[in-house]
Amino acid sequence: METIIEVSHLKKDFQNESAIRDVSFKIEKGEIFGFLGPSGSGKTTTIKILTAQLLASGGKVRIFNEDAKALKQPASRSRFGILTDNSGLYTRLSVEENLLLYSKLYNLPESSVKEALTFVNLYEERKKRISVLSKGMIQRVTLARAILHKPELLFLDEPTSALDPVNTKHIYEGLRKLNEMGTTIFLTTHDMAEAEILCDRIAFLDAGEIRAIGTPSQLKRQFGDDSLTVELTDGRKEVIGKGAEDAKQMFEWMQNNLVDRVMTNEPSLGDIFVQVTGRKLL
Amino acid sequence: MSTSVKRIQAILIKDYKETSRNMAVSSMLFLPLILAAFYSRAGFDSIQGHFMGINFTFTMVCTYIQCCLIAEEKEKNTLRSLMLSPASTPEILIGKSSLTFLSTMIVIVGCMILTEYMPGNVAVMAIALILSAVFYLAVGTFLGLYAKSVMESSVIVLPVLGIFSLGPMAMAFVDSYPILKIVEWLPSTQIILLAEILEESFTLGDLVQPFAAIIGWIVVATIATIIAFNKRMVD
Repeated sequence: METIIEVSHLKKDFQNESAIRDVSFKIEKGEIFGFLGPSGSGKTTTIKILTAQLLASGGKVRIFNEDAKALKQPASRSRFGILTDNSGLYTRLSVEENLLLYSKLYNLPESSVKEALTFVNLYEERKKRISVLSKGMIQRVTLARAILHKPELLFLDEPTSALDPVNTKHIYEGLRKLNEMGTTIFLTTHDMAEAEILCDRIAFLDAGEIRAIGTPSQLKRQFGDDSLTVELTDGRKEVIGKGAEDAKQMFEWMQNNLVDRVMTNEPSLGDIFVQVTGRKLL
Repeated sequence: MSTSVKRIQAILIKDYKETSRNMAVSSMLFLPLILAAFYSRAGFDSIQGHFMGINFTFTMVCTYIQCCLIAEEKEKNTLRSLMLSPASTPEILIGKSSLTFLSTMIVIVGCMILTEYMPGNVAVMAIALILSAVFYLAVGTFLGLYAKSVMESSVIVLPVLGIFSLGPMAMAFVDSYPILKIVEWLPSTQIILLAEILEESFTLGDLVQPFAAIIGWIVVATIATIIAFNKRMVD
């Protein structure tokens, strides 16, 4: 597997405050990697360092097997796309005019604009000025700009934060399609459901440190208790484990037709986050 | 790394579309023309009078508009988006300056027509005007990069308007206040001195001082602008 991002012992201090304390992780080619954490946990700072918009105070960052500073070179900038909370769109220009500018900067054919707008379900709105669009539509135009040049690596900072459920689903399908075509995705979010749907691996970031990292199923195994809740027909709720005694008890209930429902007690990613950080994700 | 004309052109076209829809900025193009028309009707037929409109164009169109355009890009985070695209620093800076440069040149020609000014040597004056425009563009870009908002940019540009537009007038008080001799070295004064030289018979040696002074200002302003731009590439 080819490593696309390699971060080791990353630190970032702002005056007397540490935004990132000691962060290390690797992202392989073709992965969708989720960086989860509450507001102020260091997610956006990490993206800014990875895209060479911010200098780290310590540690190493390698992207495409080169120092992250190499992304400052114009030629390297074609290799990644970025969506941040600041749209960076020209409000007096139309959706199409904004994307046409970038298609020329990336030396792409004009057809790339139609392709990107269709991807985010905005082709019909292409003549509208950015200033009249809703927040969700602006988010989709920003995403269209980020994927216009089909980057090898895509940084998405809270990509669906302003979208309604229908467009969120549409974007998820699109991101999966992009990923199948080979785009590696680095996604920050505080939406646990989004991370579970999209991400191959997840890191929980809290107060500038990674508290847990792994695939969703690995994390659930690591932090789950493997127990089952059994709802019985007489209204009782019993929690049983995986031991021989538990199996015997379960068999007995089944023989007596007492089992109404059986549910796993697998924790959600939100539960795991609370478990590892001691606080809720806001 | 080669500079792409296509990218520069794309930024220029984008700026044209944006500025033509921004009345606050595009209306500035008419102020020097109104001033030139006023001077012409008032009968100011001196080099100083002709250059009042031209120097006003440099500060009001070249520096002010450039400063506003850059500050707006910064305020709306669009400059960072450009910086994250494959466009290089020279491509962005040249692209972002092209519209202001062309507008400045058109307005200057308009002022010259209105005040019926014909330089003693058109080619030499054209070179001096182009070089001066480069200086004023660099100042506008520099100030725009430091302004936090468009509102702030229109304030911080005021000292430049005062010093460079009105500076040459201070030459009239040099005898009473020798310290004011310093304004002789302003690019706006040097271009007037150059225009006066061109009205008489001159040698190449006579042109050295005004051109050297203007080029000196360009070098300082350009270096400061490139440093400021590269600083703005990172938070």
